[in-house]
Amino acid sequence: MLLKTTKAALLKGIDQVLLTYQVAALTKQVDRVLYDYVKTSQDIFWGCRPTVLPPKKFFFPPHETLLDYTADGQVSAPIESKPLVLLGIHPCDLRGIQILDEAFADLHGDPNYLERREKAIIIGLDCHQNCDQDSFCYKVGANYAKTGYDIMLYPLKDDQYLVEIATDRGSVFAEQFLRAIKGEETELEEYQQTKAKAFESLKPFKDLEKFPELFQENTHHPIWAHEGARCLSCGSCVMVCPTCYCFNVTDDWALNMQTGKRERHWDGCMLHDFTTVATGENFRPTATARLHHRINRKFNYLMKKHGQAVCVGCGRCVRACLAEISPKTIAEAINGEDEKEWN
Amino acid sequence: MELALAQSNTKLYLPEPARIVKVKSFTEHEKFFQIELLRKGSLGHDPGQFVEVSILGIGEAPISIASPPDSGNRFDLCARAVGDVTKKLFTLKKNDLIYIRGPFGHGFDDKIFQRMQGKHLLFIAGGIGYFPLRSLINQTIPMAKNYKKISILYGCKTSQDRMFPDELKKIHDLSVGSNVELLETLDHPEPGWTGNVGVITTLIPKVDFVPAETIAIIVGPPIMYKFVLTSLMDKHMPKENIYMSLERRMKCGVGKCGHCQMAGVYVCQKGPVFNYADVKDNEELF
Repeated sequence: MLLKTTKAALLKGIDQVLLTYQVAALTKQVDRVLYDYVKTSQDIFWGCRPTVLPPKKFFFPPHETLLDYTADGQVSAPIESKPLVLLGIHPCDLRGIQILDEAFADLHGDPNYLERREKAIIIGLDCHQNCDQDSFCYKVGANYAKTGYDIMLYPLKDDQYLVEIATDRGSVFAEQFLRAIKGEETELEEYQQTKAKAFESLKPFKDLEKFPELFQENTHHPIWAHEGARCLSCGSCVMVCPTCYCFNVTDDWALNMQTGKRERHWDGCMLHDFTTVATGENFRPTATARLHHRINRKFNYLMKKHGQAVCVGCGRCVRACLAEISPKTIAEAINGEDEKEWN
Repeated sequence: MELALAQSNTKLYLPEPARIVKVKSFTEHEKFFQIELLRKGSLGHDPGQFVEVSILGIGEAPISIASPPDSGNRFDLCARAVGDVTKKLFTLKKNDLIYIRGPFGHGFDDKIFQRMQGKHLLFIAGGIGYFPLRSLINQTIPMAKNYKKISILYGCKTSQDRMFPDELKKIHDLSVGSNVELLETLDHPEPGWTGNVGVITTLIPKVDFVPAETIAIIVGPPIMYKFVLTSLMDKHMPKENIYMSLERRMKCGVGKCGHCQMAGVYVCQKGPVFNYADVKDNEELF
């Protein structure tokens, strides 16, 4: 279903939503743009700028409790979750959420992630142009969102928006909170044509669909050692990635030693001790091997499983990397798009 | 999102309480624990699988199950005290409470048992690699007539490092006039040792086996695999006749946390028991 509304109507609706739901959206804090909880619709930043952290933090927080327990052996698995409206999620991050949904639901469904995710309504906001010099969403087709949202907003001129209702849940929500008129398919087509023009010169990776095989064949390509030699193993790339979900688990007693917690924390395969076992043996001891592993998760191992590139091209890792290592540079070396000599 | 909660496993990270019913020391660093779940039910495992052992306030560690599946409501865990959890575990006594998640991983399932039927089983264990192998050894020995032969090759550093010495003696005693044999070797023997001296691969030429009719099962320290595999390849052993347990840092046990993923393979899901033919090209596993 396609509707059309104005920014004023959207803002009014959001203030209504805030009476019942938590709303998280893009916000501008000093000179940075962050996904954060908002108090009023006025807190929302409507522009198209990359955030430091992706919205995964709302479903898979950096730190969370898995177990509460007591010294006499009572153990429970509480899950903190509240209904949430996630507003203004851009296509790259929608793709990221879709991949995490699949990863956490796969085989053994992760109760913590899935409970939070189940309680969320996701409202996307389309990008009509490339947002930043480090972004390469168009390289993996993540500048378009086909799924992963309940409602999608397409920005038109004069603060107007086309509203695509994609799910039953989105429909119920829009009926309750959104004042809108019927949208015309022709307007969406026009919007898509303008967008296609803006991305016209920005082409996808050559042979993207063959990446798993290409990366498999190029385990010993000189780009790995070249980039690995500069990697500082700081793990920043992992922390800001919308599709990284590795975690560590730790236990702690409270100071009174009567109660304790088992907590999970974001972890990163780029960190030196990620694969170290208790005997001290480290199964992936070099930065080059770790970089190879991480990038292969995006374009090979997990790409095979998810049927699409697991790097969404948001460029966050490029911005966070002190050594200016980019998955784009590596992928272009592997598929021969750059025609550079890496030896 | 409609798929979510239907697939959620609310007990995924919730361990169940279990009691230590027996403790035995092998050495200062290696101990045997017999465990019983408080619900008094069977663990329901395959040989080669592992559990996540929890000690509240300390953490969780993956430990192989050392007893065969048909051991009633009890199961055996053996560990070397090297990490936070195992060091704490070593201070626990009979009747103390621990917590268990699992069993996890791919062990010796029915398909592998069917392949082993009528074949010569060649167990190759190094040091505490005997712990995970004991589950399969103790399951197959009573059914030895189902196999052409069972040869157990066991290598340790010194005679103190031989795990389950009483059970080893029983297997030695049994080997007279049966199709079961146990060959042992030590790196550093004490005076009086009558067995072989040298690394585990020195035992392989002493076994009479037809490679195509033999299933080899290898468990040992990471360094051991390369040498054992080379020896077996020299004998033209078909790769699909080789199984091995390759353990990594299996933190969550359920294919999520990422620590055990080696060149795309989650060891906690596809392993720890692997067929060599399936993983021979995995450069991070070898």
